[in-house]
Amino acid sequence: MSAFIKDLIELPFLQNAVLAGILCSIASGIVGTWVVLRRITYIAAAISHCILGGLGAARYFSVVYDLPWLRPVYGAIFTALAAALTIGIISLRAKEREDTVISALWAIGMAVGVLFIFKTPGYNEDLMSYLFGNILMVSREDLFLIGALDVVVVALTLTFYSQTLAVCFDEEFARTRGMAVEFYYLLLLCLTALTVVLTVSVVGIIMVIALLSLPVAIASRFFDRVWKIMAASMLLGIFFTLTGLAVSYTPNLPSGAVTIVMAGLTYLMTLVFSALKKPVQKTPTA
Amino acid sequence: MSSADIVVRFKDVNFAYEDGITVLENINLELEKGEFACIVGPNGGGKTTMIRLMLGLLKPTSGSIEILGGKPRERCQHIGYVPQFSKFDASFPVSVLDVVLMGCMQRSFFMGRYSKTQKEQAQKALADVGLKDMAFRSFADLSGGQKQRALIARALMSEPQLLLLDEPTASVDVHGTEQFYRMFSEMNEKFTIIMVSHDIGFVSASVKSVICVRKTLQIHPVSELTGESLQKMYGLDVHLIRHDHRCTEKGHVCPHS
Repeated sequence: MSAFIKDLIELPFLQNAVLAGILCSIASGIVGTWVVLRRITYIAAAISHCILGGLGAARYFSVVYDLPWLRPVYGAIFTALAAALTIGIISLRAKEREDTVISALWAIGMAVGVLFIFKTPGYNEDLMSYLFGNILMVSREDLFLIGALDVVVVALTLTFYSQTLAVCFDEEFARTRGMAVEFYYLLLLCLTALTVVLTVSVVGIIMVIALLSLPVAIASRFFDRVWKIMAASMLLGIFFTLTGLAVSYTPNLPSGAVTIVMAGLTYLMTLVFSALKKPVQKTPTA
Repeated sequence: MSSADIVVRFKDVNFAYEDGITVLENINLELEKGEFACIVGPNGGGKTTMIRLMLGLLKPTSGSIEILGGKPRERCQHIGYVPQFSKFDASFPVSVLDVVLMGCMQRSFFMGRYSKTQKEQAQKALADVGLKDMAFRSFADLSGGQKQRALIARALMSEPQLLLLDEPTASVDVHGTEQFYRMFSEMNEKFTIIMVSHDIGFVSASVKSVICVRKTLQIHPVSELTGESLQKMYGLDVHLIRHDHRCTEKGHVCPHS
């Protein structure tokens, strides 16, 4: 741990990693809360897996056609937004077999990504860092991108807080009030898509969903207002990513995995804690 | 009767879902201002479908529906809709006041802040449904009946001319149900009420007319609602609950069993 703090003062890549952890946790705390309340964690997971297709394709074209400006993250943003809108429109239009379509997109996105990465000349170590994340590789440009996303997420949440709350609580009622329910749903999916893209750099495609939902799951056990859960999830997210980074640093473990294990253990502990505290389930009096 | 006094008008309405199953057949209905009507019928008989048609959430396959003198979609701002509380996420993290304020939502509502007037109006609506001093409690901590009351307060926020309630007394005990009907009777002096219920026995005491729907529709004045007509609707023998009759503690002895 002391080696981590000593290096943190000296090494810029470690400072970048710490900043990335903090900035990502802000967006994922807010968006994760909406995702859990709206019960679309499955859709968020599908979007995150689709991203591999975009990452792989962008890197392939960048290497093969020598386009240095085409960074993998742009491919990821494009694919994530496309997947979010496709899934969103499908789930709004066709009520049936929605989960089948989502699963199909999930798998197709990954398959396309694997093929592009396989055909890209040179080393293919990137596949692992896409799947499991590598927070130590975050660059200055990435930080600006994550920071810009934070501004967008915070601004939109402040503007549309009451509306999003009403739509998440009772979509049908919101519809009878003449609200543009579809707009808020697609907006939420797009924000989810962007948050997922940036969180991928911290914990990777496979574990993104844990960082979106576990802090919210823990926070909901202690707070009963949406904004409090958001704030607590942000702080928990920061705590998990930074301790994950610090704990994994000296033994050279994958930091994304350590972060998720920390979050998962904390979640289990809160479950045990509340089970011990309240042996009888609370039944409200009539 | 001038057409301005007609609150709900169904003209030759048919409704079928996309899979072709007909839910409502040839429905004609006119309800006047000040009406307190109750839609009853078996599960799947089309009660909730009628409510959803009135709200403009569904469109009829054929025929026309007029609500408050206009199309349902255009007039739904003036309808107070109260869904069943049981379909909500029981632990959704909002305060009672948050829920009631959601009734202010409109297309024109832009920035995410409620005004002081709206908050005062919400407090008043809560007092009207008997939830004074509950504004800052968690919605999740309320009992079933209290949740239902909060949802009624939310519907009152839009100052409705028509109140639509979907099984408001489901999972409320007998005493609570009685209180609910007293409240509805008071509200009925201000606006038209239409509710869906399967609880026939109680309904007949305070509602003005009963609409039986099982694909087709029959309207009964309350006094004419007999076991026979119910039996025809349900297709099997239905026991009416006789609230004017008290059984002994040993239970009721059925004469024809």
